[in-house]
Amino acid sequence: MISLREVSKTVISGAEPLTILHPLSLDIERGQFIAIVGPSGSGKSTLLGLIAGLDAPTSGDVLIDGVDITRLGEDALAKLRGEKIGFVFQFFHLIPSLTAFENVAVPMEIAGARDARQRAQRLLEEVGLTGRAHHYPSQLSGGEQQRVALARALANNPPILLADEPTGNLDSANGRHIMELFRDIHRSRGTTIVLVTHDADLAALADSRLILRDGRVVERT
Amino acid sequence: MRFVLGMAVRETRASWQRLIFFFVCIAVGVAAIVALRSVIRSVRDVLGGEARSLIAADALISTTRDWTPEARSTIDRRLAAAGATARTETIETPTMVRPADSSKVAARMVELKAIQPGFPLYGSLTLEGGQPYSHALLEHHGALVRPELLSALGVNVGDSIAIGTTNFVIRGVVANEPGRNLGAFSLGPRVFVDFDDMPSTTLLVFGSRARRVVLARVPDDSLDDMVTALNQDFSDDYVNARSYRATDDAIGRDFDRSENYLSLVGLVIVILGGIAVSSVTRVFVLQKIRAIAVLKCLGASSRQIIAVYVLQVVALGLAGSLLGVGIARLALAGIPLALGPTSTSLLAQVHYTVDWRIALQGITIGVLVSLLFSLVPLLEVRRVKPSLLLRDETRRPGRDAARIAAMVFVSAALIAVAAWQAASLRAGLVVCVGFAALAFVLLLAGRLLVRMVAPMANAPSFPLRHAVLHLSRPGNQTRVILLAVGLGAFFIVGVRSLQSSLLDEFNLQISADSADMFLLDIQRNQVEGMRQFLGDSASGAGPFRLIPVLRARITGVSGRVTTLDSFEDVRARGSLAREFTLTYRDHLEANERVIDGKFWNGPSSEPEVSVEKGLHERFAINIGDVVRFDILGRTINARVTSIRDVDFKDARAGGFIFVFRPGVLEQAPQTYIAPLKGPDAASDRAIFQHKLVAKFPNVSVIDFHEILATVRDVMSKVTLAITVVGGLVLFSGALILIGAVAMTKFQRVYEAAVFKTLGANTRTIAKMLLLEYGVLGLLAGAVGSAGAVALTWGVSRYALDIPWKVFPVEHLAGVGLTTALVAAIGVLSSLDVLRNKPLATLRAE
Repeated sequence: MISLREVSKTVISGAEPLTILHPLSLDIERGQFIAIVGPSGSGKSTLLGLIAGLDAPTSGDVLIDGVDITRLGEDALAKLRGEKIGFVFQFFHLIPSLTAFENVAVPMEIAGARDARQRAQRLLEEVGLTGRAHHYPSQLSGGEQQRVALARALANNPPILLADEPTGNLDSANGRHIMELFRDIHRSRGTTIVLVTHDADLAALADSRLILRDGRVVERT
Repeated sequence: MRFVLGMAVRETRASWQRLIFFFVCIAVGVAAIVALRSVIRSVRDVLGGEARSLIAADALISTTRDWTPEARSTIDRRLAAAGATARTETIETPTMVRPADSSKVAARMVELKAIQPGFPLYGSLTLEGGQPYSHALLEHHGALVRPELLSALGVNVGDSIAIGTTNFVIRGVVANEPGRNLGAFSLGPRVFVDFDDMPSTTLLVFGSRARRVVLARVPDDSLDDMVTALNQDFSDDYVNARSYRATDDAIGRDFDRSENYLSLVGLVIVILGGIAVSSVTRVFVLQKIRAIAVLKCLGASSRQIIAVYVLQVVALGLAGSLLGVGIARLALAGIPLALGPTSTSLLAQVHYTVDWRIALQGITIGVLVSLLFSLVPLLEVRRVKPSLLLRDETRRPGRDAARIAAMVFVSAALIAVAAWQAASLRAGLVVCVGFAALAFVLLLAGRLLVRMVAPMANAPSFPLRHAVLHLSRPGNQTRVILLAVGLGAFFIVGVRSLQSSLLDEFNLQISADSADMFLLDIQRNQVEGMRQFLGDSASGAGPFRLIPVLRARITGVSGRVTTLDSFEDVRARGSLAREFTLTYRDHLEANERVIDGKFWNGPSSEPEVSVEKGLHERFAINIGDVVRFDILGRTINARVTSIRDVDFKDARAGGFIFVFRPGVLEQAPQTYIAPLKGPDAASDRAIFQHKLVAKFPNVSVIDFHEILATVRDVMSKVTLAITVVGGLVLFSGALILIGAVAMTKFQRVYEAAVFKTLGANTRTIAKMLLLEYGVLGLLAGAVGSAGAVALTWGVSRYALDIPWKVFPVEHLAGVGLTTALVAAIGVLSSLDVLRNKPLATLRAE
């Protein structure tokens, strides 16, 4: 379970402090599929980054399964992400020097999994990329890259999957394909999914929605 | 661990092409260390195996005087007591040789060695053409000569040569002789004659510089005691005894020193490679920031990621070092080929191999330097935040204790590596601090120059404007290229300028109508004849002077500061105990001036001496002190009445440490020397020397023009050696340049695509590249050349004591060639920047 207690984020923009996220509290139950919706600059990605421990809040606590991750060091956070959180980015962020297969295997190797190769192969099958396993990211289309990123996010079978505009950089067909994969994952694995999007159609696929504007929650459905 | 290994392999696979140049720099440095050490070790193995044959005996007892009966009986007694099993004698003296055939007008100074049948006691004398050596070849006026004498005199085996007043038949050509020091300075080629024929040459007259040697074979256990006893017996005489062990030790020390210092040269190249590694790692980490953030996002810790890159650096450092060992092996294999199959040099007898210990040492240094230099930039990995995947963040530079600690550690480790290589902490410190200072100065100069050209960023020319802007763009390699290429240019231009400076100075000294020949060993009864010969205009000689000289030794000093009662005390002062050549006269020469006391103006029966400033300062011998001289067995106590400053650079009028007041030494046994202006044309000089030697066979001629030729030859070899080092540095610089272009190419490809989209054609972009690298080359050349000016100033003024001169041609050529080289390499390695289609590049971004 994910719990946010009065979490806020302020950054220094030029000489002035700029609040990206005003204090908010939120509980996301295990197995829930939630969409965070809002226009650009509303604080969606910041909120996602705080949940993943990629960024530290200015105030408040973030608890994952009861552990306050704001008190963890960089390496402990990295370990937590490796075990519990999968992340999918809008711009894929695959490692360009590794093949699709190697990109998927990396999180399992970091975690020291013995069967990394077999599992990587299976994951690529799941996302329909068996034939492209040994291609480098630059040799893959945007949709294919995002599917690799999704396979990579699922590598350690994390209970939580965070996705930041996963279809934002794809055409509509590829976007639909990715969303179907998310739905399948949620159904078959019971993974908690937090999806950031500004696309209302995609948000409609989620169990619940949180609408942000200017760093504040304006609606929960 | 599996992740670290796997990632390191994958990262190396992806980026080795971009990093290869930097590790080739490491390879060049390792190759230099391994090759230089191996050559010296191989040569040493040969010489070390023949330590006895280097002096051709177990013990060597020598004197520069005639053996006295007392000395002979002491030697006989000591040798018998030590159980000597063999002995033989030699006499060595420099002298003039000419063809006996008077139609051949040539004369040459040689090093004559008269030997007995037992010579050598160890080693062997080898002759060219496989002719076996036997003493019978020398008997009855036979001679064996070095090949260079044949060509110098225009004679062949079977011809006769005149030595002193006797003719000798050349019966063979010497290929190798034991006892000849490798690379030792010699006055001329070696000539062997029979010991028994020596008196017939009449060369052993008074004042000759002959060295008489007794060589003995002595059992090892009594050798040291015998040598010590002999040196005690002869503590007051001009006799010296030494064993092969002393030679062995001296050679060992020489080899150790050269091996260690030469490997420092290699280390400088490795360190240059290290600086390149540091620079590339910095850029590499910068380019990998996103990948590092992704890895952190996927659960990797900073330590794991650093381990990945450290492993990669070690792998590439290892590959570079192994390549270096391979290059060293190839270079060593090439030495016999370079010497040629017919070479008679001792170097040709050496079997050149790479010792595995040296190879291991080279590899360790290569890996260690790669690792040390990459450590600090790799620490940046810790500061990469995974949040930058969500939001572009500029990292705020802050004080980083770990980084500072790493820098201190790396500096200490580098000093340790340099000290290890030089086998001296002091040398290690000097090299590291010197290199750091030089690098700092070059960097500072580079930064200054970059700032100076900065206004050109407003130039109306678009390519020039952008070329200048590129020098200081983020992630630029300007500093490292300036350092590497500038250092190479500095070495080469500096050494070339110094060579020109020295040769210029020598040329000046024998210009115009100053003396350019020295006649030695003129006997008193030859003075008048010589005066007539030289005074006769038909001889071809210009103005000359005849100066009386005596050889003397200081046996005591009684002064205010220095008091040395016995010769033993004098000997303890090192060079004060050497033999001095002194003269007497009633006037100062043009190159002298009195700085203390008063110079006499007439003869006196009271012994008075004038002392040279350097000796006065070194040994605190002052005005009023009494110096006791032994002049051929006669003791003279002379009072110091003046101190002279002598300009030894202009010493043709005589650069004497001691000058006596006339009135005391006139009747003492003495010889004369004569500085004179010889004929101008080389052929006339040969005729002059030939005639002179024919008339005065015992007189030796030192021709400054020949010495200049030797100096030129030695200097060109030294210059070549240092130029090779400079060339290696420049080569490393070129590699770093190519590597730097490869590292930053992605940036250029993108920029070129944008420029093309905005309307720039390929020619404009090519011009931009040419100007950018041209300006970089110009700056590197200027930095190197400016450094070279400083180097020549320092060395001229403080080391060589010659007037400082700037050689504009060398400097301008250095700047021009560096500019052309850097521009050509820069443009050639960026060809695909010009070729790439813009759309594909922009899509990929």
